[in-house]
Amino acid sequence: MLTLTSPVKTWAHRLPAGGKLAVLSLWTVLVLHLSGVWLGLAVLGVTVLVATGGRDFAAEWLRMLRPLWPFVVIASLWHLALGMPIGAVTVILRLVAAVGLANAVTMTTPLDEIMALLTRLLRPLSWVGLQPKVIALAVALVIRFVPVMLQRYGQISDAWRMRSPRRPGGRVLMPVLLAALDDADRVAEALRARGGAS
Amino acid sequence: MPKSFAICDDASTSDSTTGLVFELTPAQQTLRPAKADWLPQDLSHPSSGQGRRRALCNPMAAASPLILTNACYAAGGKVILSDLTLTLTQARIGIIGRNGSGKTTLLRLMAGLIAPTAGEVRLGTLDPARDRKAMLSQLGILFQNPDHQILFPTVGEELAFGLTQMGQSQTDARAAVRALLAIEGRAHWDGAATHTLSHGQRQYLCLLAVLAMQPAILLLDEPFAALDLPSQARLRRRLAGLSQRVITISHDPAAVAQSDRVIWLESGRIKADGAAGPVLAEFTADMARIGEADADADLSG
Amino acid sequence: MERNLTHIALFAALIAVLGLIPKIDLMVGVPITAQSLGIMLCGTVLGSKRGALAVILFLVLVAAGLPLLSGGRGGIGVFTGPSAGFLVGFPVAAFVAGWIVEHWRAPVGVTALVGAFVGGILVLYGIGIPVLAAMMTPEKANASFANLAMYTGVHLPLTLVLSLLYLPGDLIKVVMAAAITQAIAKARPGALLSRA
Repeated sequence: MLTLTSPVKTWAHRLPAGGKLAVLSLWTVLVLHLSGVWLGLAVLGVTVLVATGGRDFAAEWLRMLRPLWPFVVIASLWHLALGMPIGAVTVILRLVAAVGLANAVTMTTPLDEIMALLTRLLRPLSWVGLQPKVIALAVALVIRFVPVMLQRYGQISDAWRMRSPRRPGGRVLMPVLLAALDDADRVAEALRARGGAS
Repeated sequence: MPKSFAICDDASTSDSTTGLVFELTPAQQTLRPAKADWLPQDLSHPSSGQGRRRALCNPMAAASPLILTNACYAAGGKVILSDLTLTLTQARIGIIGRNGSGKTTLLRLMAGLIAPTAGEVRLGTLDPARDRKAMLSQLGILFQNPDHQILFPTVGEELAFGLTQMGQSQTDARAAVRALLAIEGRAHWDGAATHTLSHGQRQYLCLLAVLAMQPAILLLDEPFAALDLPSQARLRRRLAGLSQRVITISHDPAAVAQSDRVIWLESGRIKADGAAGPVLAEFTADMARIGEADADADLSG
Repeated sequence: MERNLTHIALFAALIAVLGLIPKIDLMVGVPITAQSLGIMLCGTVLGSKRGALAVILFLVLVAAGLPLLSGGRGGIGVFTGPSAGFLVGFPVAAFVAGWIVEHWRAPVGVTALVGAFVGGILVLYGIGIPVLAAMMTPEKANASFANLAMYTGVHLPLTLVLSLLYLPGDLIKVVMAAAITQAIAKARPGALLSRA
């Protein structure tokens, strides 16, 4: 499955995931308290950091920020209506600084590294029966189920479209879900046959 | 004489009261049980004594020609079908090709599930991809795997769905379905859960659901692939008795050997097109030759 | 044990699929799309604990960088953006929905309807909206209470009003969640882990 990690290799790709996440957490808390010049510098800093990855990397980074546009529009309109234009700028810049760096971390950290980190962090949960092995297995199962369900959704949608002029709506979910539940039972049996999940 | 759709039993052709015939109500084009005082000629085949032969009669409309003009389809940067020009008018048409030759894409193109990326596809005057409502009575597909096309938990709902989508009321549709099941000797199936049916029974249900909509053309995607031999024989018999145009897609020559015309699709292009005998002979020879070579290592990705 | 695991993974996958299939929805920054139907179903079908776990599993994958949030969004950034409150609210919503179905001895369809509504709308909005409103607030955290109150007072009604845009869609999803849960109870009773 395609991840959001950037194929463009940067220096940041080599940094350890744990370190990056720790820095990110601190940065996010900090940024939410900044305003004025400091905030401007923060955003500038993030942009410069991203720029060191090259033009393609920076373009990808910008694209990842695009889903924020509705929020930007609404915040701007509202603050302008209230007569507080500076407020809009502050809110938006904080968002760019926090989300921007977070996206940069996502783009420079491969999936398996983050998974390894998360499983390490969740190790205390093995007390309540959630061993790292189980978590890794759960992730693999999700990644296995998604394309199968999407494919079945496509097939059932085709069958629907051959018998109805209307677009397939929620009613197509039912056969997909039932087929998926049966699939999950079969996979559980296969797991048990191969020694179980623990 | 009313235009009628007989779902009938040929048990005793002279005793017309054993047959149940449906007729179109003059205005609404819905089905209603008719007085069975006559039986359509083409159904009066004497049975060989083994079982009854049932057939779903004349479709609602005569089949228009299916015309492809320089039709192409490309997706994800890959060209799947190139420059197909065909005029399909024969009663039994077979499309043969290896897996990956583009047969399924061609099927979906003809059905209007996808639109050509270049060129044109027309069924008479209809554009299959656009005129969806009109297509329901023109063309039906039986997909390869029944589990990919059963939409509802009970048999009755599954069969009635197409009828209601074509404009019939719930009550009319349900009545037609009950009568249909009765004729097929499966009245007890009406409330049955679809997932309790066997594979062959599910395939049969899907066929029935498509035929209930009485399309002028029937498209079959590898219909015999997953069936055991008795089920194959039953399906073959059933298909032979249909009066709509039947287009069968398969990788197996046996499935299309009885066609009036066979089209060989290879890598998205027409490699041969003609009578079943010569085309299938060429195809089988080519497949044998390919099978001798031990190379299937290329990845399609 | 294995069955719990596969069903939890399956529903996590379902949430992803509901975000990936083409649906006509209001795609405006806030992740209340077909995915919230998945959240509700996690609760009503799997129950409170397993449902919440399924949602957390989904969020872990999103955080890890898989673009499973509707619109192809993902990564850690979504947890620092305006949708953060809703994402955090997702597992809580599933838990509450599941809890209602598990503990209220009424027909499944009814409990699922109420559970989906309370969890998927009341609880989810209840967590997501204040967080969103707080994000719209430009004041520093150590501002005086008077200022802060004024600003959050200003932004809360705004976000509430905006959320009303999503309410009709979400109400439909609540009904769908109830219908689907009931259908599963009928067709595959063994899979209804909330009433196991």
